[in-house]
Amino acid sequence: MLDLMTAEFDLDASSTAPSKEELLARVAEGDQSAFGELYDQIAPRVLGLVKRVLIDHAQSEEVTQEIFLEIWQTAARYESQRGGASTWIMTMAHRRAIDRIRSSQAGRDRDTKIGIRDLAVPYDHVAETVEVKIEHERVEKAMSRLTELQRQAVSLSYFSGYSHREVADHLHIPLGTVKTRLRDGLIRLRDELGVAS
Amino acid sequence: MSGTDKDNDLTGNGSIDNPADLAGAYALHALSADEAAEYESYLARSEQARIEAAELSDTAVALGLSVAPVQPSSALKANLMAQLASTPQLAAQAPAAAAEPTQTDAPTDAPPAVIPIGAGPSRSAASTAATASSESAGPVDGATEAESIAPSGSAADRAQRRWFQRPAGYLVAAAAAVALFAGGTFAGQAIYGDPTREFAQQQAASLAEINAAGDTQRASTQTSDGQDATLVWSGELGLSAIIVDDLPALGDDEDYQLWYIGTAGPVPAGTFDSDGSGPVWRVLDGTMTAGDTVGVTVEPKGGSEQPTTDPIVAIQS
Repeated sequence: MLDLMTAEFDLDASSTAPSKEELLARVAEGDQSAFGELYDQIAPRVLGLVKRVLIDHAQSEEVTQEIFLEIWQTAARYESQRGGASTWIMTMAHRRAIDRIRSSQAGRDRDTKIGIRDLAVPYDHVAETVEVKIEHERVEKAMSRLTELQRQAVSLSYFSGYSHREVADHLHIPLGTVKTRLRDGLIRLRDELGVAS
Repeated sequence: MSGTDKDNDLTGNGSIDNPADLAGAYALHALSADEAAEYESYLARSEQARIEAAELSDTAVALGLSVAPVQPSSALKANLMAQLASTPQLAAQAPAAAAEPTQTDAPTDAPPAVIPIGAGPSRSAASTAATASSESAGPVDGATEAESIAPSGSAADRAQRRWFQRPAGYLVAAAAAVALFAGGTFAGQAIYGDPTREFAQQQAASLAEINAAGDTQRASTQTSDGQDATLVWSGELGLSAIIVDDLPALGDDEDYQLWYIGTAGPVPAGTFDSDGSGPVWRVLDGTMTAGDTVGVTVEPKGGSEQPTTDPIVAIQS
């Protein structure tokens, strides 16, 4: 699964460094230095995503800390045959960011900040690796293949952390329609990005 | 695929539209805990749905990886690293289909210890267990769910199933705590006062409960000899636990004794010992009242009715 992405993100770890999968296996055995190395490799991506969802920096760092503690605690449950370590970690990161939003105040704080935000995937041209840029462009291109409504629904839920019910309220469309858009939108993205089992 | 008999109750209330429609929302974490649970029960029955879910989840990850990275503060890493030693790790899931051979003979003396108790001033991480349970939960999480699903599918189903599993929160915390006692050895931590398994499990469950409570608080100080001591408590539960690092071992004729010190004076709250290194913890006996001070004294073996020495540490809740 996820051959393509795994391959790419092994590249950005560079061939000299141990892969995230190897590091995760060592973390599962209690290896703290492997944990530190894994952290160095992927923490900026985790924080990037969490902050994209939560906006607030301090809160995002807090959630990032929780995510890495969860990685430490559950590393033994990672199954490499089910996907790359990045996938496992980023899925966990997104879920935790969303959990935080759903928890009361965090969501409200964020809503006050989110009003003015563009729905498009924002991208600062800070010092990025080539890999990150390529990945970003690839995804942006794929996103551009969605219908506007699919793109909105997917963006609102993934990047803004709206539940599908909230997306329905926000866009004034029936829940059933949102479900369909999210599913069709992701399927389209999957095909565009070449993600396949 | 497994039979439908087990699933009657699940399909029975499926008057909502086709569960397959939830695939996108599920991958984007846009479902409530209940909805996600419902979708997961559908996943457990459909190989095709699992494949779709995995692919869409991977697709969502591609979105996540397209976001510009943000460099965390250096304090974040330092904080994390400081907490590893006192954060227990879970074993690979017990009822695993294909137990991974990564469980090695390698050092099991890597120090798992207390439930994430956090390092002194950092309040966030200590609440891992609590956050997970309160935020993501729903009765379907973790072990319970895994067990209820397991019998209904093939090994592959179960393996796949795990991939989608949501964080177990409280249950994980409890399991982690109990795991400390696995095999009868308490991983270097000391509850020597009453080393029965039931006692140890009950202690672990109480500690997990405290950590998972909605009103968990903690306070830290140092003992008279300079060891870090942390009190973690829940006023709602009326429970507290003390954690001390590197508390010296006592002679055979002595015990550490805990006290709740409130308006009525000191009330005995249990004894414990330490092996001298690493964190030692003990959930106090009895009921805590908000504002109580928790004290530790050195007493003759078995404890005393009233403190006979000055406390080595006292922490107010």
